[in-house]
Amino acid sequence: MTKFNPIRIIAFGVLLAAVALAGCSQKEPAGMLRVGLSEEPRTLNIWLASDANSRKILSKIYQPLYQHDPETLELIPWLAADLPEYDPETVAYTVRLRGARWSDGAELTSSDVAFTAKLIKEFRIPRHYSRWKFVTRIETPDKRTVRFFLKNPKAIFRSRSLTIPIVQQKEWEDIVRIARTKEKPLAELLNHQVESPVGTGPFVLKQWREGAYLHMVRNPYFFGTGKTIAGRQLGPHITDIVVKIFGTSDVAILALKKGTIDMFWWGIQPGYLDDLRNQDDIHVYFSEKSALYFMGFNLRKPPSDDPHLRRAIATLIDKNFIISRILQGFGTEMYSIIPPGNRYWYYPEVEKYGAKLDRESRIRKAYDILTEAGYSWEAPPIDDAGAVIPASGIRLPNGQPMERFTILTPPADYDPHRAISGLMIQEWLRDVGMPAYSRPMAFSSLLQQVKGRHDFDTFILGCGKLSTDPDYLRIFFLSANDKPRGWNMSGYRNPEFDKLATESSQAMDREERQALVRKMQEIVLRDVPYYPIYDPLLIEAVRTDRFTGWVEMLEGIGNIWSFTQLKPISRDS
Amino acid sequence: MMGRFVGAWRLFRENLIGRIGLTLLIVFALMAVCSFIPPLIDPMYQPMHGVDPEISHSTGPSMKHWLGTDFIGRDIFSQLLAGARIAFMVGISAAFMSIFLGTLIGMIAGYAGKTVDMALMRLADMIMVMPTLLVVLILSSLFGQLHIWTIVLIIALFRWPGVSRVIRAQTLSLKQRPFIEAAKVAGASHVRIIFRHITPNVLPLALLYMTFRVTSAIIIEAALAFLGFGDPGTVSWGMMLQWVWKTGHMFQAPYWLLPPGICISLLTLSFYMLGRAMEEILDPRLRQEGASD
Repeated sequence: MTKFNPIRIIAFGVLLAAVALAGCSQKEPAGMLRVGLSEEPRTLNIWLASDANSRKILSKIYQPLYQHDPETLELIPWLAADLPEYDPETVAYTVRLRGARWSDGAELTSSDVAFTAKLIKEFRIPRHYSRWKFVTRIETPDKRTVRFFLKNPKAIFRSRSLTIPIVQQKEWEDIVRIARTKEKPLAELLNHQVESPVGTGPFVLKQWREGAYLHMVRNPYFFGTGKTIAGRQLGPHITDIVVKIFGTSDVAILALKKGTIDMFWWGIQPGYLDDLRNQDDIHVYFSEKSALYFMGFNLRKPPSDDPHLRRAIATLIDKNFIISRILQGFGTEMYSIIPPGNRYWYYPEVEKYGAKLDRESRIRKAYDILTEAGYSWEAPPIDDAGAVIPASGIRLPNGQPMERFTILTPPADYDPHRAISGLMIQEWLRDVGMPAYSRPMAFSSLLQQVKGRHDFDTFILGCGKLSTDPDYLRIFFLSANDKPRGWNMSGYRNPEFDKLATESSQAMDREERQALVRKMQEIVLRDVPYYPIYDPLLIEAVRTDRFTGWVEMLEGIGNIWSFTQLKPISRDS
Repeated sequence: MMGRFVGAWRLFRENLIGRIGLTLLIVFALMAVCSFIPPLIDPMYQPMHGVDPEISHSTGPSMKHWLGTDFIGRDIFSQLLAGARIAFMVGISAAFMSIFLGTLIGMIAGYAGKTVDMALMRLADMIMVMPTLLVVLILSSLFGQLHIWTIVLIIALFRWPGVSRVIRAQTLSLKQRPFIEAAKVAGASHVRIIFRHITPNVLPLALLYMTFRVTSAIIIEAALAFLGFGDPGTVSWGMMLQWVWKTGHMFQAPYWLLPPGICISLLTLSFYMLGRAMEEILDPRLRQEGASD
């Protein structure tokens, strides 16, 4: 038997105390913001970054010439000194740069801006090229002035082209030179591994341990420090950002509750709300999204090539059910392609199919639309006495029975809202005897089937980040974009719409453009190639005991204004 | 034959584990049968798309909803009953198919021997080392969400090798017995010997393994559904767990989280207990061992 030894007991006590002290000393510095992300960023190459997580990180490093004001969404000069000057005679925009430095200390010059634009044009960078292909020439009269010459007037140039991130010529020119010599220059450029991105933003990357965390530190050369832009005094006042990667929302929310992270940078499901609201040091933000969640139809083949059928389906979809139950009230019904939050461009007077109707009235109305269009049934949804009954055996106007009608959705694992909406819509379509089947499938396969092969009846997809400029309306439905991997996924072809769309993209007068965009919305909702369903609210949660100053904005609080204005709360207070 | 069955039943009744397993199984079978009743009472009890018109969020148990409602107001008890039906369907059909394949291949390999035996057993080895869940996950991500019967078929195709090995060993032993020699001398064909003389002797063993295969099939289906690769058109217990997880109710709604989890555990346990009891009945050595305790 072991003898009682007081020295051992004392040694054990000392050891425990040491461990406890070590634990105390590991407390993070007051200026370190700890952020939770649900997934790892895929890349630090700004030209490849198409996933939300990579863009979140890179948006704090690479900066554009103009940002949007968090309240008015108007353009605010950022790397630019003031708003662009337009010369209608030469169809040219002149931009003056403010004095800014890269994170390596070098000066930002007009050559960097011109280099970025030329790189996009030369390599036809996906997602950016369409915004720059109409720029014919770029001049740099001095190191602070850039002049862009356009082929013809383009309304989107200010809001879409001038808001792309600017990269440093010194960092990229060698990479570009090597890429040019390769057989596939674009692939070479996109596959380039960027380890230490050089930017003009408030933070620079210090370390990235894949699968664990990213550590960013304050950029000492950030141009905004101490300046007032858009009436906001900029810092940043935080010294470090540590981005921790969590596999699931559950773990991240537990970490938030325990105080291991200060913010979870991802939309939260409404199911967590009750629990989070009961926490003293947690605040939940609800932000509008500039998003469109919609049902798209394949206009290239029957039966969805028939506008009557599309209108009947639109009538059957109960948006109120989807918003109040599936989204738990955290969203708004959408009736036009442009979200209602985008007030200037949104047109409320479009056709609102089935608005405020109950289920039976929807079935009756859809039945009327289909009967008038020549559809018939073995057992129609309305009997001779006018009562709604189970329907079956719907036949197309040509007398053929309708074949299996598939609704493609992302899987519940990816987005439970869309997957369950698909299931409910399946049931609503069956109410009028349509052989509808909801089929959730992996997101990449879904995109391939819809965008690549055009092999579908309908699909439910979402555009999570629509720009405030309504040019996407033109892009989604222009006949020229009906091609494999093109943006016109429905295959909508309407010369009247094409004409209006082209005119709208060239209209430099804002009111004239507004009228054209309204007419375009009216046409789209008349022909229903897409049927808008909802725009969800973004729910985000932060701790309130360490930092203050989150800026609410369209698309949430993780914006550049928050990260440049957040202030640590004094420990003493 | 009848006497053999009566004897086995008497032994089974004496076995406590077997009795518990059978009782649990009867309860779940009743649940599966009763799953058709709630939608007949009111359409809101339809497990997939029936919703309570007055409830649009997750609520706890009440008189109207014995186990509460899920996040859109669907009745959890109705879903639980429908889940029992799916669990039985998946478990029994996948197990039956895998046992059928395993028994057939095992008997052919054991009886034919030589090259046929070697080829079939190497195939069995190759399939046996493949992780079923992983393969189904990969197939699902390649071909989109799989239908429930496709999942059943895949489980069956990957779970036969273990059975075939045992049946082959039994067949090898039976092949040397005098009654097989006698059948050969009497001019019986190979097919007749396999199906007339060997099958009845390996069938009890195959049925025993079937109970274990049911367990693994139910667990694989539940895991697939929980991970988001199940058939979205069916209400299974795994799917219920996925909904509770993905909608953020994991720690907020125990009345929604616990029932499907407990049911998966108890149903698989019941089949396992049944298997253990059958094992003791079929193998007298185990029985004696148990008696001496």
